[in-house]
Amino acid sequence: MKTPIRIGVLQLADSAPVIMAHQQGLFARHGLETEIVVSPSWANIADGLAWKKLDAAAIFCPLAMMTALGRRGHDAFLRPLTTISRGGNTIMLRGVNPVETIWHAGSHGRRAFDVWRCGIGRRPRIAVVHIYSTHLLILRRFLKMIDVDMENDIELVVMPPVDMIHALSEKKIDGGCVGPPWGAEAERLGVAFRVGGSSSVFPDHVEKIMVTSGKLSRSEEQIETMTLALQEAITFCQTPQYRQDVIEALAASLAEGGLALPAEATRAVLPEGSAEEAINFMSGALQEHDIEWIINDMASLGWLENSEQQTLMRWSVSGAMTSAPPVPL
Amino acid sequence: MGEGRPPLVVLVADANPKRGFALSETLRSDSSLRVLTVPAEMALIDAVKLHAPDVVLVDMARADRDALDSIRALSQSAQERPIALFVDEDDAALMETAFDTGICSYNVVETPPRDVKPLLRAAIALYSRFRRTREELSEAQRILAERKLIDQAKRFFMKNEKANEAQAHRWLQRRAMQTSRRIAAVAEEYLASQKKDDLS
Repeated sequence: MKTPIRIGVLQLADSAPVIMAHQQGLFARHGLETEIVVSPSWANIADGLAWKKLDAAAIFCPLAMMTALGRRGHDAFLRPLTTISRGGNTIMLRGVNPVETIWHAGSHGRRAFDVWRCGIGRRPRIAVVHIYSTHLLILRRFLKMIDVDMENDIELVVMPPVDMIHALSEKKIDGGCVGPPWGAEAERLGVAFRVGGSSSVFPDHVEKIMVTSGKLSRSEEQIETMTLALQEAITFCQTPQYRQDVIEALAASLAEGGLALPAEATRAVLPEGSAEEAINFMSGALQEHDIEWIINDMASLGWLENSEQQTLMRWSVSGAMTSAPPVPL
Repeated sequence: MGEGRPPLVVLVADANPKRGFALSETLRSDSSLRVLTVPAEMALIDAVKLHAPDVVLVDMARADRDALDSIRALSQSAQERPIALFVDEDDAALMETAFDTGICSYNVVETPPRDVKPLLRAAIALYSRFRRTREELSEAQRILAERKLIDQAKRFFMKNEKANEAQAHRWLQRRAMQTSRRIAAVAEEYLASQKKDDLS
């Protein structure tokens, strides 16, 4: 009996291509037997990749990179296959927005922050989903844009996105940077307002990528077929006429193979949806401009050595290639 | 664990209260350990900050495990004791078994190393026992549910066809053999068709 390829995802709308490729039989059509593993935390995804519990995962670059560098205590031969999604992260705050727009760079944003902070009455507690996340880098850039120092002016906390909505309503946190559809859901429920996000900080930045691990990373044939299946699924998810199919699949319960996502917010964040921070599903190899800013920001946070930066830059390839070559680290 | 040393503070963070209690009780039999648990409703990271444990045993089903990854990165500014995932480089099989069983362990980085493998092994054993019990329980529940379905289908068949129980059972058995399915699946289909007839 063949052992299925175990693919890790979290309960997020940008996991859609993996879910659809599995449910619509795209993986199977390419001869791949797959099992979707819905993980409760990013740590589980990273440990799964490092400790042979997952063969692949939809993940953000910073955590994939830190895992590839052995930060989970074990060498992990990670290989980036394709980008999955771009954008989609929302920076949201509780309370009242002192201006009627999102917060713009410079003094406009800084003034809004100061007025809002007075209303909060404490050093704001802002949550991200994981320390090694695109969300943290986007949040840090946003704060810098409005002249707020992440290290001193706010208190950074880490919290699962689903918990953020409850924590905002309980005033345990004052804001957060989250992935889709949780930002749109928080806005819909009236527990937070949006001040910025992917679209205002780094439009179309690469968000989720597909990486393989271990033996699967060394199987050229499986890599090629998996990339093809994902490309088809990404095109499917990006096509407006299939949006309802995607919403239904993502809103279905975990027992039914879905991700139990809130349907209305999911509709808003899918491509061409009404949310400002809607996702774009795009396949293709990582380009230099996709990861250069991520690696630079990670280095400036003190997470990477010089040599590690060079090694990680090899995750990008020329635009002519459909998938990145293996990069033994 | 040697004599005269301060007790090793172990924090047990289990999403399953029964299993967490059982694990705590097991560990408490070792007098060199001070065992604490994460109260319900308290975030894992808050419990770590509150109790400042030397070792944290974490159920991997907890979504808030992600926060532990941040302690090390944020500890310089927050002046907190950095902790890191315990990894036994020489015993990859132990680590893989731990991940398989759904448990992992974190160490306080600045604490002088003490052998935490016995703790992890105890946790793995207990988690495996709970998993087996759960599997046995769900198998028992499945058998019970199937038995109920079959009995219900038999009752309908006896009423509809004016048959006795043996005849009803033979009919279900024959149909299962003809269609290469389990008797419970045939019973379920029969009941569904009865419901459909009732509605039409």
